[in-house]
Amino acid sequence: MANERDEVHPFEGRVDFPYWDGLGRDELLVQRCTGCARWSWPADWRCPRCGSYDLGWEPVEPRGVVYSWVRTHLAFVPAYAELVPYVNVLVELPGADGARLMGLFTGPEEGLEVGSVVTGTFQAPSARTLDLSVLTWSLEVAAA
Amino acid sequence: MKRPTGVAAVGYGATPYYRRGQSPHAERKLLLMAIDEAATMAGIDAAEIDGFVSYGADLEDGPRLTGPLGTKELRWSSLVWGGGGGGSSAAIAQAEAAILSGQAETVVVYRATAESTSGRLSSAVIQGVFGIQYRAHGIDSPAQALGLRTQRILANGVPPSALRAIARASYFHAGNTPHAVGRDVDLTDELYEGSRRIVDPIRLYDSSRENDAAAAIIFTSAERAADLTEKPIHLLASAYGAQGPRWGELDENHEPYTASSQASAARRMWDRTGLGPDDVDAVQLYVNFTGPPVSALVDLGFCTVEDAGEVLTYENLVAPTGALPINTSGGDLAEGFLHGMGNAVEAVRLLRGESYNPVPDAKVCLVSGGPISELSSVSLFGTEPLG
Ligand SMILES: [Zn+2]
Repeated sequence: MANERDEVHPFEGRVDFPYWDGLGRDELLVQRCTGCARWSWPADWRCPRCGSYDLGWEPVEPRGVVYSWVRTHLAFVPAYAELVPYVNVLVELPGADGARLMGLFTGPEEGLEVGSVVTGTFQAPSARTLDLSVLTWSLEVAAA
Repeated sequence: MKRPTGVAAVGYGATPYYRRGQSPHAERKLLLMAIDEAATMAGIDAAEIDGFVSYGADLEDGPRLTGPLGTKELRWSSLVWGGGGGGSSAAIAQAEAAILSGQAETVVVYRATAESTSGRLSSAVIQGVFGIQYRAHGIDSPAQALGLRTQRILANGVPPSALRAIARASYFHAGNTPHAVGRDVDLTDELYEGSRRIVDPIRLYDSSRENDAAAAIIFTSAERAADLTEKPIHLLASAYGAQGPRWGELDENHEPYTASSQASAARRMWDRTGLGPDDVDAVQLYVNFTGPPVSALVDLGFCTVEDAGEVLTYENLVAPTGALPINTSGGDLAEGFLHGMGNAVEAVRLLRGESYNPVPDAKVCLVSGGPISELSSVSLFGTEPLG
């Protein structure tokens, strides 16, 4: 396979390693510049605003707004074949200046649309998730 | 030696569009045959070609072709770096740069793909683009990523009818084009609406399908073109790049999210030529799916998000009567998918008066390459050089 943008071996050397590592502890971490406090997503090595290489990580509540979504009807990804049709969401995190995360949507779909509020659930690694801890997303249950 | 003042296309060639995996010929052989056809049209010996340019994931670099072509002197070999099909007109821009600078004299721009050599095109073009932020969640195909962006295009207010009109106009033009893979499909509203869902909101007839094929266009200086052919097609401008505020490989965090990334290339093209959308007689749009070309038409100045539904109607998009004919060969959806290379070929074909869907008195044709890609491109062709 051709190199991905962030591919580094070993895995701990990746720029987004703290993100994956945090998910394994049920913590959502998003990169933020230590120099100018700019949220930085996807993670990278340099802050485009102030030029700093000193980028830290801050915890963010796994709660956001559906920026977009798709329902996949074909088995493009073999590991997800048995879930077809499945829904993915692109979730905007208000707690991280609108950084957007992709994820699998689970639970009732009624009312799902651009703008819906969703909450994330931490999931243990599996072969399906490339042995990575991930967040899945569900519609926020309105308070009774 | 005097520098050339302009660049022109002097010949094109294209193999049949085979179903993916079904080409009777290996990839390089397909490409050599397309180049030979283009050279014959140009009235040159293929050995005179001294420059080679492709884009995307093409494997057939110049040095692989010089042997079988008997190339007398290799002077240029380049691949557009990044952007996949967004590089289709960028390859033309590199040919233009090579010729205008005097680095090379006769440059072929091409794209070849056959599954027996380079595997699935859909896999090759996404190599390295969809990292684990996508794949861990079951997203690993252009249809899914473009589905996310298309959903947002619709949420912004572009009516679904605009996407349907692009599909129907493509298939209408294919119906008149003997070599088009979609020539036998009479795409009615009902057939479109009822077609299989691929990735909501994308239906089967919103989607291009991979083919085995090769196509090539030979460019040279406008001065030399005038000696070679009575029908040189002038490259009025080409441009590529992207414009933010945030653009690039950003795991769906680019801004503006639904822009085509062609706005800055388009601005440079219009500035350089003094032309604008009103001067364009036909547009060959990159249509991997029907959402991205809507973004391209907005950024190129042919419509706005607000009036897309009124401008992008089937009647308006078909030749010979529509005001804005698109994809006059059927394009990526219905002529065949060669990562956008067929669109530039059709632009030259149309202006030479050889399209199966002629546009009356067509003088200027725009090619839009790979919108909503990390890097995108445009090229503008004319029957006459700029005054
Ligand atoms: Zn900073």
